[in-house]
Amino acid sequence: MGLVIVLAVFLIAGVTVLANAIDLTVRTIYRYTDYFTYVLPQQQFREVPEPQRVIVESDPRVERTMEGAFFLCNIKTVMGRLPFVVLGVPDDDRDYLMQRMGTTLVAGRLPAEGMPEAVLSEPMVENKKLKIGDNVVSPTEQGGMATAAPIPVKLVGILKGPVWVGFTSRSFCTRYFLLNPRCTLYTWKDNSQRDTLNRSMMPVSDKSKGKLSPTEVQVLSKENLITEVRDSLESLYMIMGVVTSAVIFAITLMSGMLANIYFTQRLSEFGVLAAIGYSRPKLIGRVLAETALLNIAGWIVGAASTALLMRFLGESVFRARGLFLDPFDLDAYAHTIPVPICITLFSVGTITYRLLKLDPVTIIERR
Amino acid sequence: MHDTLSCENLTLAYRDGERTTYALRDVSMSLPPGKFYGIMGPSGSGKSSLLYLLSGLKRPTEGKVALGELAISHLPDPELMRLRRTRFGFVFQQPFLLTYLTALENIVVAAPQPSAAARQKAQELLESLGLATMAHKLPSQLSGGERQRVAVARALINEPEILFADEPTAALDQTNGHRVIEALAAWRTKGTVIVVTHDAGMLTGADEILSLRDGQRVEN
Repeated sequence: MGLVIVLAVFLIAGVTVLANAIDLTVRTIYRYTDYFTYVLPQQQFREVPEPQRVIVESDPRVERTMEGAFFLCNIKTVMGRLPFVVLGVPDDDRDYLMQRMGTTLVAGRLPAEGMPEAVLSEPMVENKKLKIGDNVVSPTEQGGMATAAPIPVKLVGILKGPVWVGFTSRSFCTRYFLLNPRCTLYTWKDNSQRDTLNRSMMPVSDKSKGKLSPTEVQVLSKENLITEVRDSLESLYMIMGVVTSAVIFAITLMSGMLANIYFTQRLSEFGVLAAIGYSRPKLIGRVLAETALLNIAGWIVGAASTALLMRFLGESVFRARGLFLDPFDLDAYAHTIPVPICITLFSVGTITYRLLKLDPVTIIERR
Repeated sequence: MHDTLSCENLTLAYRDGERTTYALRDVSMSLPPGKFYGIMGPSGSGKSSLLYLLSGLKRPTEGKVALGELAISHLPDPELMRLRRTRFGFVFQQPFLLTYLTALENIVVAAPQPSAAARQKAQELLESLGLATMAHKLPSQLSGGERQRVAVARALINEPEILFADEPTAALDQTNGHRVIEALAAWRTKGTVIVVTHDAGMLTGADEILSLRDGQRVEN
């Protein structure tokens, strides 16, 4: 029975860790949204209209606004190629953002003004299997129009830090990536204000005074990103919920039956204990304690083996394929908590019924 | 001083459709404390049923069982359990030892608390029954006679007022049977001993022998 619990916990936690890895991967790749937010013009504009920019600049919680441009490069993930922004901002804004994100140059140099050069974070370099001097994007880049570049852009430096980020010069972007819109970036003075500031920057269609307009701009904040990812994964989570429930139901029935078989094997033990004066609540308590202990031990072993295996798989298999998984994902293990609870309740419930009906004389008078 | 165990018009009947079978019919007796009683009779005479009724393991169809003034046949289940746990001791035909516990632990299981004092007492009981070296052995490592003596020690751990034994020697050879009976009989100095057996040879030391036939008491 213990092994069944271990396997059930392993199955549910493992599948949930892998499913949550999609969400984690997107949040890891786009983690720069922890440090700044993009405001992009809608399609009819080349840049964020001045009145909209003023709204952003005038918010007292905003620390700094920056005018940027960008081109896109591909990042390989298990969901396919995802476009990733290589940001072109003036040098002082770039230095400010790098400092804000705790990012430093560890190899090569920063891009020269107006040159087809870029620097990328270490994980991006690994993901794209680049070395300094290779092309970050080129006219023959796979991935469609979005990531096509009119001329090859060379990797001139590698960044190290907690965030995936890429920089080029703004003048290079504005000269060569004519179709890409310009963007406005803003940062906040106090990290605790990030969420409230981002929420207040959400465009609203009722033309409220002092609010951004959805017909003119869109805001790419951390909250938006998470909402979009979770919306797109909603069906997957629903399927997982059904599968998890079915697994828990089946495992509960199976383990309950195993517990009852085990109880039958020990019937003489319970019969003699009842005969010598153990009360039914005490016997039920004994069953409950044993079952709960077995379930808790099974859960711990299952959770530990899942964490170990997921850690191994994450490092050796999935990371190279652009999938980040958290072997200690608490949400995944929370999904497995009903396993020991349901099994304990079902097993103890059915055995309690049998114990209440148990006549010790039928056990002790067997000859 | 302990109480007298008595029963009046004790009847135990089983109904099978229209037919009623009597395991016991109108049995009355009084068993003053401090004696070794033997209950004898052929197979099916109702001797085990009488033991179960006297010890509160079964409830009579009619009549009553009393320990002093306490009508135990009418006690609610929890109180009856408590009575069996604190004032009675049991030895059955089979030792029914818990296979995963040592001899010592099997005895402590019957103690009110698994305390150090209970373990000490269990060790003393094992010594008095000639099993001092067997304390830490599992039941599977003991002989049939040793297992049954461990069961006797388990019955004695709570210093019962009344020690009930149902065919305790049935599965043993003569030598081991006598050793078990001797261990049981020795308890009469501290309480009452009631032994059910079909083997008259085991009751040579009994203070009183009660005979049953066809569910009724008969003269010896």
